[in-house]
Amino acid sequence: MLYDLRHSDLRVRWLVTLLLATLGTSYLFGAWMVGLYAGFSATKVAETYGPAGEAPMAMQMPPDTTIVTERPVSMAEMGEEQHHVDMNLLVQDTHVHMPMYAVIAACLSVIALGLAIPRWAGLWIIALLFAAPWLDFAGMWLTKLVSPGFAIVTLAGGWAMALGYAIVAALAIYQMWWRKP
Amino acid sequence: MKTLVFGAAVVALVHITPTVILVKRQDAVAHLLPGADQFAARELHLSSADSKELHDAVGWEPPDGVVTFYVGKHQDQTTGALIFMRVDCQHGPLELAIGFGPEGTIRGVEVTKATVEMKPWVLEALRAGLTDSYRGLANDQAPAGAAKVKPQIGAMPGYMAELIDKGVMHANAAYRLFYR
Repeated sequence: MLYDLRHSDLRVRWLVTLLLATLGTSYLFGAWMVGLYAGFSATKVAETYGPAGEAPMAMQMPPDTTIVTERPVSMAEMGEEQHHVDMNLLVQDTHVHMPMYAVIAACLSVIALGLAIPRWAGLWIIALLFAAPWLDFAGMWLTKLVSPGFAIVTLAGGWAMALGYAIVAALAIYQMWWRKP
Repeated sequence: MKTLVFGAAVVALVHITPTVILVKRQDAVAHLLPGADQFAARELHLSSADSKELHDAVGWEPPDGVVTFYVGKHQDQTTGALIFMRVDCQHGPLELAIGFGPEGTIRGVEVTKATVEMKPWVLEALRAGLTDSYRGLANDQAPAGAAKVKPQIGAMPGYMAELIDKGVMHANAAYRLFYR
């Protein structure tokens, strides 16, 4: 253990607690946002990141001749934006979010370094914290470029992120404020 | 530690600000397709050749290969068409609504979305009368709204005007080449 959160200065424990509370709140809103814009099922994620306006697994290649379809729509339907992440937006999202995810994973990893857990468990938690954003974005890119079936990888990334946070937060809060051998 | 702090500062600085709605899409439809009481979405899934033709014409093609026109009708007569066009820049995306009259000229342009950072720049460009210059523009004419308003506005509003010109140019080309 590089340092021991259980016996750290009160200010350090206070800082860690507030950091975890803030990250936890942002994660809750993150989950809400995912529910609004992408959904929690593989089908919804594939619709969001897969080829636009097309059924999953269909028309990933441009047609030989331009195909025109026309369907009646209501005023309300025109007002509803179908949230779809195209290639340009995914480039932008990856550029913006990957560094932030790395900083969050690093913060949680620093907290994990102060936990009274075996060395191997620490390694696994740190691996999980960094694997989550990689899975998240790898899933989005694979869904976009290879197959909508890879939406499941993005879902796995999201759940891995939640799991990593939950493990670190639960252990840290317990060890800092309750278990003090 | 310095690297970490610097990294966090860079991340904070490059973060794109949230999107804000300047004009609701439904309001844009009402302004740009006046009198229409029936609507249809005409989706064009472009072939590689047509995508290339569009790209050769204006240096742009839809990222997912689909162009959608919303056609307005009244008593089965077409009253016009509308297209929503996104323009990206390093400050985030802009969304425009470009309306065409039945004769194929531009009826009007609305900026429907911008980011928090871009909003004041866009509003300054709009207050200078940027979108007035697009009215009546034929679909084979290049938009030149930015050149008209740039002397009266700041550098960033001028840049926004150039982006809006670009979006109008893309919409015009899509209409000219593929709207039937």
